Amino acid sequence: MALLDIKNLNLAMRSYEGETQILHGIDLKIERGEIWGMVGETGSGKSLTGLSVSRLIASPPGRYLAGSIEFQGRDVLKATDKEMRMLRGRHIGMIFQDPTTNLNPAFRIGTQLVDVALHAGHADPSVLGLGAGASRGDFKKAAKRVAVEMLEKVGIPKAADRIDDYPHQFSGGMRQRVLIAMAMIGKPDLLIADEPTTALDVSVQAQILRLIHDLVAERNIGVLLITHNLGIVAQICSHVAVMFRGRILEAGKVNDVLKRPSHSYTQALLNSVPTVHTKRGELMGLSGAMRETSA
Amino acid sequence: MSLDIQNVSKIFPGPRQGFFGRGEGFTALDDVSLSIRKGASFGLVGESGSGKTTLTRCILRLESLSAGNILFDGSDIHKLTPLQMRRLRSRLQIVFQDPYASLDPRMTVHDIVAEPLVIHGDVVNMTASRRTERVMELLLQVGLRSEHLFRYPHEFSGGQRQRIGIARALAVNPEFLILDEPTSALDVSVQADVLNLLHRLQVELGLTYFFISHDLGVIRYICDDVAVIYRGRVVEQGPVAAIFDNPQSDYTRMLLDAMPDPDPDRSPFRKIAAV
Ligand SMILES: Nc1ncnc2c1ncn2[C@@H]1O[C@H](COP(=O)(O)OP(=O)(O)OP(=O)(O)O)[C@@H](O)[C@H]1O
Ligand SMILES: Nc1ncnc2c1ncn2[C@@H]1O[C@H](COP(=O)(O)OP(=O)(O)OP(=O)(O)O)[C@@H](O)[C@H]1O
Ligand SMILES: [Mg+2]
Ligand SMILES: [Mg+2]
Repeated sequence: MALLDIKNLNLAMRSYEGETQILHGIDLKIERGEIWGMVGETGSGKSLTGLSVSRLIASPPGRYLAGSIEFQGRDVLKATDKEMRMLRGRHIGMIFQDPTTNLNPAFRIGTQLVDVALHAGHADPSVLGLGAGASRGDFKKAAKRVAVEMLEKVGIPKAADRIDDYPHQFSGGMRQRVLIAMAMIGKPDLLIADEPTTALDVSVQAQILRLIHDLVAERNIGVLLITHNLGIVAQICSHVAVMFRGRILEAGKVNDVLKRPSHSYTQALLNSVPTVHTKRGELMGLSGAMRETSA
Repeated sequence: MSLDIQNVSKIFPGPRQGFFGRGEGFTALDDVSLSIRKGASFGLVGESGSGKTTLTRCILRLESLSAGNILFDGSDIHKLTPLQMRRLRSRLQIVFQDPYASLDPRMTVHDIVAEPLVIHGDVVNMTASRRTERVMELLLQVGLRSEHLFRYPHEFSGGQRQRIGIARALAVNPEFLILDEPTSALDVSVQADVLNLLHRLQVELGLTYFFISHDLGVIRYICDDVAVIYRGRVVEQGPVAAIFDNPQSDYTRMLLDAMPDPDPDRSPFRKIAAV
């Protein structure tokens, strides 16, 4: 049984002009120990795929036309709300592309992290290093300790001093690291990370990649890493799926896909990465022809 | 438009202690000096949390300075009258770092992109229908379509929102653009289009760019000069090729080494992965 098995996922979203189908038959299987990169066009449905796994797309506007998403053998699209709350934050960790969905500007960073730690701890006290009989006080203390530890792990200097800050006092990259800490606190089995390092400098980014890598090595979890950065995919992912207009164009081992892409879109992406030698104005985008035919 | 940042420092007040006291302040910018030539692209890279966004907020006068001066074409912006500042703002636009927080969720894309045309109506002077035409033209330039016109931000992906922010900043034909991580949410092929668009506008209209990015490849591609900032201090600056080929500071060298290589064989993690 795969950790995550997405089968023939078809999703439509309703908007101003009516309903449009966004996902056209996504198939993706993630085993424990695998780090899947998901790359592709902006607006191709990567985030909506990730959000679907945690069942975070409201209906309306969303509607699943067909397909299933099996997490450890159970279809999350059919799970009850209570089961979903158990899964989220404990078994499925999610780093959102949109930081405003998970960080409330009105509450201190620490309070928000402690809440997540408590939620995970109540589902499974071992996450906080506690036994079944722990008292409320134990939980609070442990949650605070774990919150500070996680903030340190994601590279916030002097984490203990900054825990009482509000989100606006953090830089973009620091906020992003708070989200990463939140997603990891519950020690999930599956981590979905949607553009987790876009606001980070390359050295902090390397630190986060190391953290994800170690988490996979130590706890044998599965990861879905959505990113535009082909360098990150090449560095850390075992597999990669390339998305375009709601479909997976090709998927497979990183070495195969990046070194011998079978689809011209993948090749176009690889050509679009600026290198030391690219002259200004000469970078190849997606050719106009391709944009039109694939529309 | 040229921009001179002279010995700028910014200290955020520390946490309140008791009724009157405050803890030690936080120095976000420490004696920063940069000089951005008219018609050139100036890149700023550096540690996350090192003060880059704070500097853009100081330039826009959204933050006061603790020390130093910021001069546009020689005149000190922190001494401008509100009217002069408004005039300046029609020539100086910004693409904000966070495409999620920076678009008003209650406004349609049309209204978001048209907003600067309305605010600076005294300078721009367009009829409503001309404004809509202009908005359409801008959306096409950044690779969005007419059917997107009356949608709300939450109906867009991260990269689509980022392009809305770019379209808005270009609306009034500014002379100077501050771009705070403008392509971080774009796939590399759309990023290439946006970078080429910026380059073309610069060649045609002589725009000046202040370009903040964590992507050293992008900075190298689009910028003439670059400054590297670490803990609020500029550790080195100069022409892009010189800094990238021959970095003088340890921090710059570390950044260059940490750039993830798109060749899977050069990964430090490869050993474990299933290959
Ligand atoms: N709430 C919504 N209502 C209607 N359409 C939506 C909604 N959310 C997203 N969409 C559309 O669905 C498509 C896929 O969006 P999604 O956010 O999954 O893209 P993405 O691949 O993550 O892109 P990016 O790389 O830019 O983040 C986009 O074309 C977007 O316009
Ligand atoms: N209003 C504020 N009050 C207190 N501290 C602040 C405030 N705004 C920013 N800071 C602090 O100033 C420092 C610089 O923040 P800034 O947002 O300028 O960083 P940045 O270089 O843009 O980082 P990133 O690359 O992560 O976006 C950070 O340590 C941040 O916590
Ligand atoms: Mg997305
Ligand atoms: Mg910033």
